This record gives sequence, C-alpha cells and structure tokens, in this order.
Amino acid sequence: MSVHEFWLQLLNGLTFGALLFLVSSGFTLIFGLMRIVNLAQGSLYLIGGYIGLSVIRATGSYWLALLGGAVAVAALGLAIERGLLQRVRGRPMSEILLTVGLSFIAADLALAIWGGDPQTLSVPNGIDGKATIFGVTYPVFRLVVLGLGIVVAVGLWALLEHTRIGAIVRAGVDDREMVSALGINVKRVFTGVFALGALLAGLAGVVGGAYLSLYPGADTEILTYSLVVVVIGGLGSLRGAIVGSLLVGLVYDFGQSLVPDLAYFVVFAPMALVLILRPQGLFGRAG
Amino acid sequence: MRSLASYLSAPGGADSPMAGWAPRLKWAALAATVVVAVAFPYGVTSFWVNIATQALIFGLFALSINVISGYGGMITLGHAGLLGIAGYGVAIFTTQSGWALGPATVAALALCAVVSLFFGALAVRTRGTYFVMITLAEGMVIWGIAQRWSELTGGENGIPGVPKPSFATQYWQYYWFVLVVVALCTFLIARFVRSPFGLSLKGIREADDRLAPLGYNVWLHKLIAFTVSGIFAGVAGVLLAMYNNFIGPSDVFFLASAEGLLMSILGGIGTLTGAFVGATVVVVIQDWVSSYFERWQTLLGVVFVLVILFASDGIVGLWTRFVWAPLLRRLGAGEAAADARTAARSAAGATVSAGAAAATADGAAPAAERRVPAESGGARSQ
Repeated sequence: MSVHEFWLQLLNGLTFGALLFLVSSGFTLIFGLMRIVNLAQGSLYLIGGYIGLSVIRATGSYWLALLGGAVAVAALGLAIERGLLQRVRGRPMSEILLTVGLSFIAADLALAIWGGDPQTLSVPNGIDGKATIFGVTYPVFRLVVLGLGIVVAVGLWALLEHTRIGAIVRAGVDDREMVSALGINVKRVFTGVFALGALLAGLAGVVGGAYLSLYPGADTEILTYSLVVVVIGGLGSLRGAIVGSLLVGLVYDFGQSLVPDLAYFVVFAPMALVLILRPQGLFGRAG
Repeated sequence: MRSLASYLSAPGGADSPMAGWAPRLKWAALAATVVVAVAFPYGVTSFWVNIATQALIFGLFALSINVISGYGGMITLGHAGLLGIAGYGVAIFTTQSGWALGPATVAALALCAVVSLFFGALAVRTRGTYFVMITLAEGMVIWGIAQRWSELTGGENGIPGVPKPSFATQYWQYYWFVLVVVALCTFLIARFVRSPFGLSLKGIREADDRLAPLGYNVWLHKLIAFTVSGIFAGVAGVLLAMYNNFIGPSDVFFLASAEGLLMSILGGIGTLTGAFVGATVVVVIQDWVSSYFERWQTLLGVVFVLVILFASDGIVGLWTRFVWAPLLRRLGAGEAAADARTAARSAAGATVSAGAAAATADGAAPAAERRVPAESGGARSQ
C-alpha cells in the first residue's frame, strides 16, 4: 500500500465512519433511553434517502431533500412510536420483532414506490468538486459528510450534557422509574427521542444516497454496520457510537483495499474480539 | 361423570393421561396427519406438492429456531446464515469438488456444526437484545461471504446445479424424501426438548440467573442448544439447496432469518406443530397469494405486526383458546378442565397441543392455563 493510497483509505474510512455515525447515533440514542433495539433503523435510513430522491426530482435542491428526508422520517418515527411501539412497551422482544415486521413492510413498499434499480442522489453544486488534501484529490462532498458527522456529534453531546431535555434523557437512561416519579412525563420524552433517532436515520439516508447509493437491501446493510458499531462501542453510549463508527469505517475501507472479497467479513473481526474480551462493548455498562 | 377418586388424584390428572378425550383426539389427529401427508401427492397437482415440500423444509427451519428461541428463550435473527453454511457447503462440495451427494451432505453438516459452535460461543455470552443483535450480525457475515466472495460462492448468481438424491429426482419422490427426513428430525427434536436437558433449557429460559446457583452450567446448556439448533437448520439448508437445485445469497439474507422467526412465532413459538403451521402459512403467502397479490411481502409484514400485537401465542395458541379448549369442555365437562391443564403443561405436543402460549417470548402466562381454573370450578358445580 503506497502512502498515497494510505491517505485515500484513511479519508474513505473516516468519511464512511461519519455516515455510520449518523445512523448508529440514532440507534444508540433510542436504545439508551428506551431499551428498544430498533431494527427498522435501516428501513428509516432507506426511506429517508428515497424521500430525498423524490424531493430532488421535484425541486432540484439537495438541501431541501436533506430537510425533507429528515423531517418526513422523523414524523414516521413519531407515528411508529405512538401508534405501535407504545402498545408493547415493556416487552423487549415484542418491541424488536415489531420493528422487524415494519422493516418487511418498509422494504416492500419502497420497492413498489421507487423500484429495484440502484439510485444515486446527485451532489449539489458547490460541493460536487474535488479538493486536494494530504496530496490526495478527494471529493469535497465526502469531506462535508465528515463535517456533518462532527456537527451532529457535537450537537448531540451539547443536547445531552447541557440542556434540560438532555438531563432528563440521561437520568432516564440511569433510572427510568425515578425520573417518572419526579413528575416528568417520560412517555413524551420517549416519543421525542424516538423521533430524533428516526430524524438522524432519515438525514443519514439522504447523505448515504449521495455517498453510496440506494437500492433494496441497503437498509439491511447499513443496519448491520450500525449493529456492529453499537456492539463494539456499547449500546446506549454516544462516545461508543463515535469510536465504533470510526473503527468500523476504517476497518471496512482498509479491509476492502487489502482483501476485497472479505471486506464484509473483516468488519466483524473487531466485533468478535470485543465480544470475547468485553461483552458489554468498549463504553457500555455491564449488565 | 368422573368418580370422586379422580378428583383426589394428582392435580391435573397428569398420572392418568389416557383418561379423557385429549390424548385420544391427539392420536387421531396425528394418525390423520400421517395419512394425509403420505397420500398428499396422489390428491393434488405438482404445484401444491411443491408448496408442501417447501412448507416441510421451512417448517424444519422454523423448528430449529424454536429450539433456541421457543424453548431456550433466545431470539435469533441470524439462523438463515447457518442454514446457508450447510446449503452452500453441499453446493460447493458437489458442484466444485465433484463429491457424491452423501459425503457432501455429511461434510456440509459437519461444517455447519463447527460454525454453529463458534457463532454460539460468541452469542450465548450475552442475553436478550444483545443476543438478537449478535446473531443478526453473524447471519450477515455469512450473507456477506455469499454475496461478495464470488470465487467460492458465485456471488449474486449463487450456485446452480445442486443435485437431488438419485432415488428422488421426481417432484413427488422428493416430497416423500423430505417428508421422511423432516419427520425423523422432528422426532429427534421432540426427544431433545423433552429430555432432562430440554427441561433444564426451559428452566434457563424462565430464569437463567437462578439456575446457575443450582449447579447448572447455563453457558454450556445454551451453547449445546445453539449448536443442535444450527445443525437442524443445516439439514433444512441441504434440503432447500437440493429442492431448488440452487443456493444463493437471498436464501441466507436477514429477511430469510426473520421469515424463519416469523414462521415460528406465527405458528406458536415453543410448540412443535406451530413451526409447521407457520411455515405453511408463509410459504402459501409467498407462492400462492403472490400470484394474485404483488405486495405479498407487505402482507407478511402486516401479519407479523398483527401477531406481535394481538396474538403472541400464534395460530396454535388461538386454536387452543377458541377451538381445542372449548371442544374438550363440551366433550367431557369435568375431565376437560383437567386435560386442558395437562395439555397446557406439555407445551411441546406432537399434535396440536394446548401449550402454545407457554413460550411466548415475554414469558406471559399461557392463556389456556389462565382460563382453566375458572372453567374447572364451573364444571364441578354442574
């Protein structure tokens, strides 16, 4: 591997990691508070991307697509939480299986509406060029994705650590009963967090639609990567999601350039290692 | 009317199983099922024989999921990966290595056992939601290899040309072959889950933290159950590869694992019959309804959601609640209550049993058991 290729793969890994972070941060946020493993997170990602695609076709604006995809999916998340998940609250396996059922439906309806051919969202003017960084000519859009990942990470950190809502969420992660005993409407906080997680997935979908592409099955692939991210980082931990995303992004891209046939396999090696040495994940709590 | 003595015998009349209608009806149902299953190819077109063949293969797959998810309480979403190891194994050994079908099958199942052991060793260290995610990720590793490692697995094109056994090349012969293999496997699984080992597995499902202090090696129990389950999924995988003369990435994809779990829950998780009932419904939706209604996968998803919301004990549970238990009550008022209770305990009836709800993933009390005490009081006062 030449120096040039090393920098290229490093950038690829970091930017892909940023995309993974957008999906898995929502995933881990939802789990952290609600103890729900949202296996429809990949579907929300894909639907967000497809809605973005439709918005671009209608308006020609990628930025509107970003907004539309994120907001529409947040609304969808709100409906799912209010309409379905609340009915099985407190039964973790039913919650998981419900999200699996929803992912069946979402995958099929997406196929019906947007078709089976891979679609790529066009990158907007201004950031569709290339820049030279570390002697590598690199697409500006991917650097923007990295920037967006950083912005979201900082935003979530500020939200969780420096706002009243964040304090409630953190308290809810530690002791749900106590929080509701203090007179806080945990139910509403739950709905809000689920919608926020969905919003992040929808946003990631519009970003991922331009970074990778959208096709039937992309939902499960991105879901699998997020699972690996949160298993490595520790479910419910924002820091874990950041470290896990970067690790998985880097391992994936270096793996792909070194052993292309086994790239997928290579991603799971660190997960297996973490499971053996520290089953609760790098930043997860035991038990 | 029953004698006074029978009321004084062991609670539920468990020591006199031949009394009452339940066992008689069950044996009759089993006998009828065997006759219908064997004679099936004589009565219907090849289309339905093929549907029945698939229902048997996927029923075995759902049953293998049941061993860990229903009896062991560990929900897996990666089992199609283990099915795929054996399916791809037999495909590669026969088409690329040029082995005969017999040795290829044995080698494929051995490979599947080793992978199951390894995957199990990673997964059973965890519980609940973590277990679900890890099995999902494990299944996707196999899918990743199937999809990307083209040299070995043919990539997206899969591997065509998997032969059927020379004595079962016609569709009806192959149906009988599958029927015999699946019946044998079902018998073995029934023995397995009713053995002392199977019972301690159920104990682990209910309270694994309490069994450890009693001297049970919980980890080892789970690992053995996982591996056994993986091997039976492997048998289904070999049968599937032979049936289609093909194996491909979609056979091992996440959706295939989720479908297997759906079959087992839809039928009634924790029951032997439920797996086949659920598999039949899903296969019929896939193969028959799909020719009239294009969005069959949406239909599957809707069924999945409805079952989770309203009938977590599945079709067998509904059957027990609304057909079987009332039928027994009518046949033998006082006896029925006792028998239904017995039946509710033997969750794993080889015929339609009353235990459907006994193993709902959330450990909810089975509906039949909840209802029966009230009924029996009524019956006695008659």
